[in-house]
Amino acid sequence: MSASCERAIVLAGDLHARPAGALAVAAGRFASAVSVTAGGHTADAKSVLGVMGLGATSGQNVTVAAAGPDAREAVAALIAILSEATKVGGLTDAVWVYGKRLVAGWVTC
Amino acid sequence: MTAQPMGTGTVGIVLVSHSAELAAGAAHLAAQVSGGTVTIIAAGGTDDGELGTSAAKVERGLRLAESGAGVVVLPDLGSAVLTVRAVLEDYGEAGSVLLADAPFVEGAVAATVTAAAGGDLKAVAAAAEEARHVRKL
Repeated sequence: MSASCERAIVLAGDLHARPAGALAVAAGRFASAVSVTAGGHTADAKSVLGVMGLGATSGQNVTVAAAGPDAREAVAALIAILSEATKVGGLTDAVWVYGKRLVAGWVTC
Repeated sequence: MTAQPMGTGTVGIVLVSHSAELAAGAAHLAAQVSGGTVTIIAAGGTDDGELGTSAAKVERGLRLAESGAGVVVLPDLGSAVLTVRAVLEDYGEAGSVLLADAPFVEGAVAATVTAAAGGDLKAVAAAAEEARHVRKL
């Protein structure tokens, strides 16, 4: 069954290489198509270079959108990563774990 | 890209550079960006540590990087391709190796992230080659 889901978040810090990597690794584990939009530009969330190319910075509004069988879980996982990984010192092992399991429950679409 | 790995294990990466420091640095960066779950082997420099490439280092790298899902090799400059091709001619499992035509640093990072996400051999090589088209600015 296919669904679509979209959520926005305000970044706590810049979307540097490692947060972008965590995001892309997590996105790649979902079957759904997942995109990230910031500053009027959209990137495939599964492309780490595309995500880094957005140049998203602290305080900026970022939207995660997904379409496919696990769209809600994908958006939940990626919002969680964006929330944690862009904080100072936020890129802990726990963030990488979001890429290994489905995170759901607190995202409604 | 596939959401689930096709074989067992994760696709491995071998970075072939004329410089040992360049290969090691790119491997370090790719490991940091991808979370450290992918085997990335730096095969840089000649056997005596000079600038150049080493068939022995490439061959050893292929074996170390293989965990059942195949290996993607990234050369830094065109002449590294000659060394890799020479190694593959005599390599028993050349069918599980893909040589990616990609920018070295960006390709290494993109390939490793896709491998960490569970992408199969073709998906990892494609991620490296697509790096050519992604703008930084």
